[in-house]
Amino acid sequence: MEILAQLIVSGIALGMIYALIAFGYQLTFATSGTLNFGQGEALMLGALVGLTLVGHMSYWLMLPLVLVFGALQGIFVERVGVLPAIKTKSEFGWIMTTISLAIIFKNVAENVWGHDDITFPSPLPTAPIQFLGIRVLPMEILVVVGALAIMLAVEMFNRKSIYGKAVVATSNDRDAAGLMGINTGMVITFSYALSSMTAAFAGVLIAPLTLTGSTMGVVLGLKAFSVAIIGGLNSGMGVIVGGLILGIVETTTGYYVSTGYKDVPGLVLLLLVLAIKPSGLFGKSVIKKV
Amino acid sequence: MLQIENLNAAYGKVEVLHNISLSVPKGKVVTLIGSNGAGKTTTMRAVSGMIQPTSGKISLNGKAITGLPSNKIARSGLAHSPEGRRVFATLSVTDNLLLGAFPRLTFGREKGDVPGDLARIFELFPRLKERAEQQAGTLSGGEQQMLAMGRALMLNPDVLLLDEPSMGLAPLLVKEVFRIISELKGRGITMLLVEQFAAAALEVADYGYVLENGRISVHGPAGQLKNDPAVKAAYLGAAH
Repeated sequence: MEILAQLIVSGIALGMIYALIAFGYQLTFATSGTLNFGQGEALMLGALVGLTLVGHMSYWLMLPLVLVFGALQGIFVERVGVLPAIKTKSEFGWIMTTISLAIIFKNVAENVWGHDDITFPSPLPTAPIQFLGIRVLPMEILVVVGALAIMLAVEMFNRKSIYGKAVVATSNDRDAAGLMGINTGMVITFSYALSSMTAAFAGVLIAPLTLTGSTMGVVLGLKAFSVAIIGGLNSGMGVIVGGLILGIVETTTGYYVSTGYKDVPGLVLLLLVLAIKPSGLFGKSVIKKV
Repeated sequence: MLQIENLNAAYGKVEVLHNISLSVPKGKVVTLIGSNGAGKTTTMRAVSGMIQPTSGKISLNGKAITGLPSNKIARSGLAHSPEGRRVFATLSVTDNLLLGAFPRLTFGREKGDVPGDLARIFELFPRLKERAEQQAGTLSGGEQQMLAMGRALMLNPDVLLLDEPSMGLAPLLVKEVFRIISELKGRGITMLLVEQFAAAALEVADYGYVLENGRISVHGPAGQLKNDPAVKAAYLGAAH
């Protein structure tokens, strides 16, 4: 029983990272109907830029700088890869451009930071805290708190500020939002900035728990994508639940079955969700009134 | 106030509007009538920047707005209550109304008294006040129409475009919509009104244009159009 509880606790931290990346997918999908398939690379770049920065300053001072970097990286992806596709009304162009940019980012990172995985110095004590026989790393707590905090901040912005409401209006009906004087092109750029910013933040949150390297984003980005599908691309709650399910299933499978199979249950779950409830566990299926 | 000169517009290669010229003077209500597919909605969409005209000139308050994106046109003072209402379904009624005042709450348009205007909209549409915190998507068709009109009014517009405000509404609600339009007219709001109920539209309007296959066929003072035999036969006949 204690082992299971331990596995669940470890799974939660991993799951929150998935949730945070998946949240980033949702942000751009809501406003533009497009996704950045380079979310994993945005995370990787955030982590590596953070790694370079912590050589010169404290972890806490590095955080806001990485957030700014992430936002700029997102704006770059939108301007270079997505905007031309949206302008020409290309339905699938953005898929190729965001994947291409992801490959370029990965190659650039390999050349700048090398092929090897590097340890990221932990800003918190690395000794686990004992609680009812369960061991929790302080960094794991920071992951959960940080991920929830940024998601909550975005949600509050959307609900309370007129600019946030303009973002929601754009997600609802882009043409009508334009009639309100909202520059919907800017809103889409902003959502990409926010999306890459959350990914970069996820990168520096997870980095002290894992290793940092140019390939770290590939699997995380892919798994977070399945979390977004499982939870529902249009449900904020869904990604948290989906992320936690996937995180916990992975750690428990890794222990009870074999670490070699730890990725299987999540993908089986993805197949099941697609077969039974394609809009996701919490997704609203869109009914178009004619 | 609003001037349209030789406006042409197309969907892809299909020309829809041919040399439309019309003007909406300050404080007047002008109506655009015509059968389905004549190009009424397309005219409205070209004016508010939802589609780009292929040629022609549109000016608002003497300033050219031709070809500008819709958000800039809204900031110049033109509000458009679009066909099909297009309310923001997941946002509350109040939030929908506040978004109507977006340029006033951010930049580009004089702020004025937004909370006061919100209260006045609720006075004009008491049903919206009852449902202030409800999601707009849960409103009935009539209530959504009121919301679309109220949202457009929240801009404090120089010109208000109303596209088919009575579409799909029960007869009693149609009456209510027209009552509100004449009330707005009484307040001196400049309007361009597109309507399928030509008789009612000509009743409230000062001036009318008849659109046929993308061209203006007849225009004149509303009172005169009402009695024009050709207009009567084509648009005011069997429908009423």
